[in-house]
Amino acid sequence: MVLRRIRLGLVILTLVVLQTTVFTHLRVVDAGPDLCLVGTIAMAYEEGAIPGAIFGFVSGLAIDLFLSTPFGLSALAYALTGYGVGIFQSGLIRETRGITVVLAGIGSLIGNLIFLIVGGLAGHDELFALHNIQILIVASLYDALLAIPVFPFVRWAAKADSSQAWPPR
Amino acid sequence: MVVYRRDTRGRSTLLVMVLIALALITIDANGNSAVARLRSAAHDVIQPIQSVVNSAFQPLRDVAGGITSYSSVKSENARLQREIANLRGQLRLDHGQGSEVTQLQKLLDLPTAEDATGIVAQVSGPGPGNFERTVTLDKGSGQGIRVGYPVVTGDGLVGTVTQVSGSQSTVTLLDSPTLGIGVRLADNGATALTAAHAGERDLTLDFLSNNQVKASKGELVLTAPVTHAAFPPGLPVGTVASYSKGTQDLQPTITISPTVDLDNLDYVKVLRYPDPTDTSTATTGG
Repeated sequence: MVLRRIRLGLVILTLVVLQTTVFTHLRVVDAGPDLCLVGTIAMAYEEGAIPGAIFGFVSGLAIDLFLSTPFGLSALAYALTGYGVGIFQSGLIRETRGITVVLAGIGSLIGNLIFLIVGGLAGHDELFALHNIQILIVASLYDALLAIPVFPFVRWAAKADSSQAWPPR
Repeated sequence: MVVYRRDTRGRSTLLVMVLIALALITIDANGNSAVARLRSAAHDVIQPIQSVVNSAFQPLRDVAGGITSYSSVKSENARLQREIANLRGQLRLDHGQGSEVTQLQKLLDLPTAEDATGIVAQVSGPGPGNFERTVTLDKGSGQGIRVGYPVVTGDGLVGTVTQVSGSQSTVTLLDSPTLGIGVRLADNGATALTAAHAGERDLTLDFLSNNQVKASKGELVLTAPVTHAAFPPGLPVGTVASYSKGTQDLQPTITISPTVDLDNLDYVKVLRYPDPTDTSTATTGG
């Protein structure tokens, strides 16, 4: 249990470090990927709604420390996305090829949309700009692509002690 | 029945997380210094790991930046660019100093950019967020950088420091929609406030002091001389890109292009402004 949590913590740390270093230089049309959001979607897909929401909340708080947008905004958006994806994935036929890529793209689109709407309502009017729709679409395509390496990484960290559930009940 | 109870517990957990997140957003919106301290501490903790990762991925970044750019050519190019930028900036400052406003600001003994000492810092890269216009510098409060200090290159104003940790700082760029800068048109002296729009590099001028003002393309726009301003007066901000005024318009629409190439920043200078040792300018406004 403890080891599993440490592994998941390291996954979050790795995603935050990569997002704040390497991927800031690999932007496409002003948009970069949101690795923690992809990780959240992966966790929700593998483990269900509540583990997905908790992973999203913690990783969102972690990335919020490095953003200029309100602290807690990513945590809120990712937690809701994780929960939503977790609920949705229970009805999916998992053997469908490429489902993780599609799920990451759609989940990213919804997560970023929640981020923009809540941020705008919280007083950051600039988040309502039309240009952000373009960013949102490009970022979700980028996230869909990065689901290919991120999903197995999160699966490894989450499933290693599959005999025990996370969070504990 | 069991399924119902488990589902309720799940929703309660989600509700608690949503409430905590909303509370944190509210606390941050109220400008609580605890959040700033938390962010600063997180930057300091993760900075050594970031340095290692940045060094490890430097070759990949170089490839992404341009396969043809060899490091020696790049450094030589950067040196020449800085030299050109300094000369351009000097030329613009000389141009600005000729105007009546500059004469008056000297008479009023307002602090200028020349009065402020600077800290040279390297731009580590853009901020990680998709919905912000920031860059990260490799120096922080340990080197004397404070929140609110203006950031410049030889070409002109870059932005302002908005977050500082011990070894890093975050600069909000002047084309960020969250930043408005008091400026004046160099030739006719009319003052205005810049307004940036998401996704656009050009800025528009709002709240013109003179609605009848006419601006010509290429006219220089400098920071305005205002007591307790956030920026020293006379710093080049941009040049007029377009001017239009319809018969029904109350004021003209003026757009300016920043003098600094904000997408290709390398080295910048953080001005100690207002001078921390000068008590007369210690309190700053917007």
